[in-house]
Formats: sequence, C-alpha cells, structure tokens
Amino acid sequence: MFRDAGHLPKLRDTRPDPTQLPRQRRGTTPQMHGRYPDYDVLENARHWDETTREVVLARVNEVPPVRFFAPEEAEVLRLFLDVALAQDAEPRVPVLEMVDARLFAGETDGYRYDDMPEDGETWRRLARQLRADGFDRLADREEYVRALHDGEHAWEGLDAERAWSVVMRYAVSAFYSHPWAWNEIGFGGPAYPRGYMRMGVGDHRGREPHEGAEAFERDPVQDS
Amino acid sequence: VKGSRPPRDNRSAFLLDVHRRGIPGAARMRRYEDGDEVDLVIVGAGAGGGTLAQRLARKGWRIVILESGPFWDPDRDWVSDEAGQHKLYWTAPRVIGGGDPVELGKNNSGHGVGGSMIHYAGYAPRFHPSDFATKTRDGVGADWPVSYEELRPHYERVERELPVAGQDWPWGDPHAYPHAAHPISGAAEQARRGALAAGVDMRIGPVAIPNGTFGNRPHCIYRGFCLQGCKVNAKASPFVTHLPDAIEHGVEVRADSHAVRIGFAGGRCTGVTYMRDGRERFQRAAAVCVSGYSIESPRLLLNSDGLANGADQVGRYLMVQGATQVAARFPDALRQYKGPPPEISSEQFYETDESRGFARGFSIQTVGPLPIDWAQHVLADGHWGHALREYMRDYNHWTTLGLLCELLPLAENRVSLAEEKDAHGMPVARFDYTQCDNDRANIAYGTKVLERIWEAAGAQDTLTIGRYAHLVGGCRMGFSPEDSVVDRDHRAWGIPNLFVCDGSVMPTQGAANPALTIMALASRLAERLSAGR
Repeated sequence: MFRDAGHLPKLRDTRPDPTQLPRQRRGTTPQMHGRYPDYDVLENARHWDETTREVVLARVNEVPPVRFFAPEEAEVLRLFLDVALAQDAEPRVPVLEMVDARLFAGETDGYRYDDMPEDGETWRRLARQLRADGFDRLADREEYVRALHDGEHAWEGLDAERAWSVVMRYAVSAFYSHPWAWNEIGFGGPAYPRGYMRMGVGDHRGREPHEGAEAFERDPVQDS
Repeated sequence: VKGSRPPRDNRSAFLLDVHRRGIPGAARMRRYEDGDEVDLVIVGAGAGGGTLAQRLARKGWRIVILESGPFWDPDRDWVSDEAGQHKLYWTAPRVIGGGDPVELGKNNSGHGVGGSMIHYAGYAPRFHPSDFATKTRDGVGADWPVSYEELRPHYERVERELPVAGQDWPWGDPHAYPHAAHPISGAAEQARRGALAAGVDMRIGPVAIPNGTFGNRPHCIYRGFCLQGCKVNAKASPFVTHLPDAIEHGVEVRADSHAVRIGFAGGRCTGVTYMRDGRERFQRAAAVCVSGYSIESPRLLLNSDGLANGADQVGRYLMVQGATQVAARFPDALRQYKGPPPEISSEQFYETDESRGFARGFSIQTVGPLPIDWAQHVLADGHWGHALREYMRDYNHWTTLGLLCELLPLAENRVSLAEEKDAHGMPVARFDYTQCDNDRANIAYGTKVLERIWEAAGAQDTLTIGRYAHLVGGCRMGFSPEDSVVDRDHRAWGIPNLFVCDGSVMPTQGAANPALTIMALASRLAERLSAGR
C-alpha cells in the first residue's frame, strides 16, 4: 500500500489514519507506529563518534526541566503541540521541554521580523491566546488549530502566518531531532564515522544492512 | 591528469593530520601584540578573508584575522547531527523587513573560523562571462569593473586548491575540473532521468569535495551532512583549504574576537576595535580589510561612523537568490539523506532568453534535506498534525530539486542599523528586502520547469517550498564613488588603506553559488596588492 501513493494527504479524501500503520516491534517511535517496524537507530549508537553519541543519547535519556515557560503556559502549550504534531498517545517526544530548553538558553535563529516580537514572546502570546479561548476545554482542538493555521483566529494581534511559522519551526526542529522520530521515518541517523556505501534506488541497492527495512503493508497478525 | 596535480603555492591539504580534524599548526600559531602595527588586519575568517590571508602571508605580510566565532576543533566541537550543529550559524540578533523579508539564521551567514563555507552545501560553480556585464548585455543589474577573463586564472587556481570534482562543464565558459565526478545517489539519479526526459541537460558537480588522493584529507564517506559541517575534512572550506597554509606562514587567526569599530584618523584606518573576553581592545594595523560578508561588513562600516559611506552606498544592492525547492515522490525508496546534497546541476536556463519574458535566469541543483529541513519543506507546503507526520513518514521516497534564480540588485534592498543593540551595545543590522517584477517572473518560471521535470520523471506527488539562498552585495565594487563602495581593487573610495573582500563586493550574483567566486576575487585581490607593494 505504500508503494503507490494513495496514503499521502494530497491524494486522499480522508484524514491520514495512523491506526492503519504497522506497529513498532523494535525500539521506540512516537505513538509506536511507523513504516520501519524492526528498525531502531539507537542500536547503531556504538558506531557513532563519542561526541555525537553523547549529544544524541542525551536527547533520549535526559528530558530537560521546564524553566522558560510558567506552569500554566506549559500546560496549554503542551496540549497545542500534541495536536500540531499529532502526538495523541504515549510515547511522546518531549517537544514542549525541548522548545523550552532552547528558549531558556536563548538559542534562537537570531533574526526577527520587524513586526514581530522576540520568539519567546511569540510563544507566550500563543499561550495567552489559547488560555483565553479555553483551549484545554475544547471538544475539537484540531478544528481550533486548523483555524489558527488558516489565519482565522486572532493571535494576540500578531501576523498569523508569521507567528505560525515561528512556533512550528521550533516544534518540528525539536520533534525531528529525536531518534524516536528517526525510527518512524527510517532516517539513518548520524552515520559518522561509518558513512554509507549503498546509495542506489530501492531496498536492494539503496539500503545498508544496518538501516531498517520498510514495511509496505500492515502485518495482518501482528498489527491488528 | 585528473586528480594528480597538487595546487600551486598552497600546502594546506598536506598540513592537516589524517587522523585529526583540527588544524595542527594552530597550537604553535604566531601571535601579535595589539600595539604591534601589523601589515593587515582582516575582519572575518571565511572565504574572502581566509584566501586573502593565505596568499599575502606567502608574500611576507604580517596579518591578524579577527574572527567573531570560535576556532573549531571538529573532533571535539562538531556532532554528526542536524540540530546539534546550530552553533555554525550567525545567530546574533538581526531584524528583517521589506515586502519579501529574507529569513536568515541557518540559511546564510556563518559563525566561527571557516565562515559560512563550513555549512555551505559544497557547490562550486563559476560565474558565466555574461554575469560581469548584465547592464550592457541585458539592460538590468550592473556591470562589474572586473571581467571574467581577469578572474579566470583565479577560478582555475582555486578549483585546484579546493579541489572541485565534476564532469566537463558545457555552460558559460566551458571548462574541465581537476577531479572526476563523484558517484551519484539514487535520489539524484531519479532527478537526472526526469530532467533528461523533460529536455533539461544536467551534469554531475561541480562539488568542492576531492574524489581521490588529496594531501591528508580523507575521501568523502557520503554521510550527507555537508550542511552541518564536514567532520571528515572532505568538503572544502577555508578551514581546510587555506587557513592551514596561512597559519604556517605566520598569520594569526584570533578567534572569539568580535570587531565593533574600525579605527580612523587623518584620512586613514588605524586598526580595529574588537571585543574579546568581555574587554574592548584595539589591534593596530597599516591596513584594514573587512571580510564579514554581506550583512556584517556593511554593519561594521555603518557602526564605524559611516566609514566609506559618503555617497550612501554602504549596505545597498544586497541580493539573495530565489531558491524554491520542489520535492517529488516515487514508488521505490531513494533515501535522499545519503551522499552529499550537491550532486547534479543544470545551467541550461542561466542566460537571458527573451521568449521567457524576463531578464537573466536560474540554475537547477539537487539538494538533500535531512529530517528537520524536510519537515520545514512539508510545513511550507501547508501541512501540520497528521498530514505532516504522514509526509514525514514517507521521507525515504522523496527526492528534491532546487532553483537558484538570479534576483536583481535594487538600491532599496539594503542593510541599515536598527535601534536594537547587540550584546556589545552596538546597533544590530536591519535587512529590508523586496522583489521586483523580473524576480517574481524568474522564480515562477523556474518553479514550472522543476514541476515539468518531475512530471516527466513520473512523480506520484510533489511538495513545494518557496525560499531564498545566499547573500551577495551590500558593499559593491563599481566605477565611481557615486555608484559603489569600493573600486575594482576592493579599495574603499577615498580611503587608501581600507578594503572589502567578501561576497558583499559583488555587483550581481548570477545564478551560481557564490563561494568559488568570493575565493577567486580574494585571490585576484591578493595578486594586485602584492604587486603594488
């Protein structure tokens, strides 16, 4: 089913449904679904250089404390991020904590639109708006986030498109820096100093033995 | 014979250590006192400053390079990881504005010894001869006070030093490369098939990664992290191609030293004021060369009481390239994270073709986004939540082509000083940018060509991100003080010992990645300066 592209959002009429995905059998993926059920990038960690290994493993083993956001901001932003990144079940990549750590350390991208505040302030305004709108009590949070994305919601006076791009840039940078997300998408990880040899097309010519094989179908026994 | 000719007058590749990535000579680097008047102080250890220093040091010049960022030890400081290499970028505060603001951050300026070539992709194309006279030929942009012919020997010399690998090049001034083309990945092969089917000629390269023996630099391991800094020492940057030789010949690369002001008295520069360890210091020098790239170079001049800005030219004509990327989906896995992102490119659409309805053109190149960049791509196409996750899970089935559209130099696109101050109390740069109609037409046409290529390749789905890449201009070279900041020898009009040597001097930007041209310009400047002494 994944060789043809009928599952892709622009080619289907219905919402993508992760319950129809293979379940992860090895290692961890966010929500334990993915396309590489027997692939765990962390099993390659002993082949990485020590400096890289320390940084990447810390992302998995050490969830930073929340220090930038106030508790009530963190609470509502966590709910927002769960919807924006479709993390609707455990295990979750701790995106809120990772974003908080960056903002606390001042590790921004540096630039700021002339009509926008500092990135941290954009996040705080999002939190205020979500609290004012009772986001935590909404029955349909996905509809709210859609409206936010489409610019139909107020965003404390900010340019909605720019505010969305600031917030989501931090969100995806955190999520897709996490090895669990690499397991889900079949990314090879650091690959230093080992590098790659098989660079061709398809599973035979393009996959190293230590890279995960892709599941093109659900397993009717194990995935139901 | 390909791959066998060592570069002339540059032993950098032999001064490195096969088993370590740092510059061995850094430990016994020559040091100068602040009060010691050196021959030249250069601000910025990147493509311009690094190359200039290497050349002049061999002629006996006593040189200090002030670099705002750290002196890297890649073994210790760099990780083979996308998020973990954020430190390579210039992330001090800047303000962006205008009708089509340019997002900065990881996309353009570098921080640290080696400059932005530490995180550039590695493409090293030459400019075309037409780039040096777009005003005369096409009625747009500006003519350069330097010709292609003057730059050609320096292109050839720098191509041997990096060295550049690629197929024989049919476009612009046809030429061959010192190293043979690298093998290409399945992702690039798919793009190549589509291009051929759509009548678009593509060639492998030109990539600044040796393919074969080259001093003590190891061969590329195809891990795909070129944009995160090469931990292998395979990809060329001044860090491995010019600074080892510069240091061997007595250049001091003073890292963690942020220039804040150029000293000026009696019509001449006297040195540079810089911050180091929280203290303000002053390096005396007989001449000053600003090599901080297109935003920081103008900012430094503006922060130095508007030095060289008598005609209000500093910061103007700043350019970026339109760098829209279109990704395509195929049934078989392509794993686009493998291999260097720069693989194949086309300059078939580089020159003006009046039938297209706009002046100048664009290049097409492969790119290989890693997961975070891929997520930005999906996000830009309008997806979030479950749709974002679905496209991300499909990552290995996608391959991506990008444009480099030549956008025209406009006086209003410029760096100025914002009211906001940085950590040193100096006003930060404000960068305003707005496209003109020719720019929009160019990007729209180029995007259609990419779509045509993917259609011809039989893509199942496409995703598009509109973006910019590269910076040039801001202190352009020209024919008179009224139309430019520096003359054809990079000398600030009216100030005999102030030079600018980086991408900011370029009057137009072509549809080529700027690194090689910045180095070639520095190489030419060094020749002019040492001849004049």
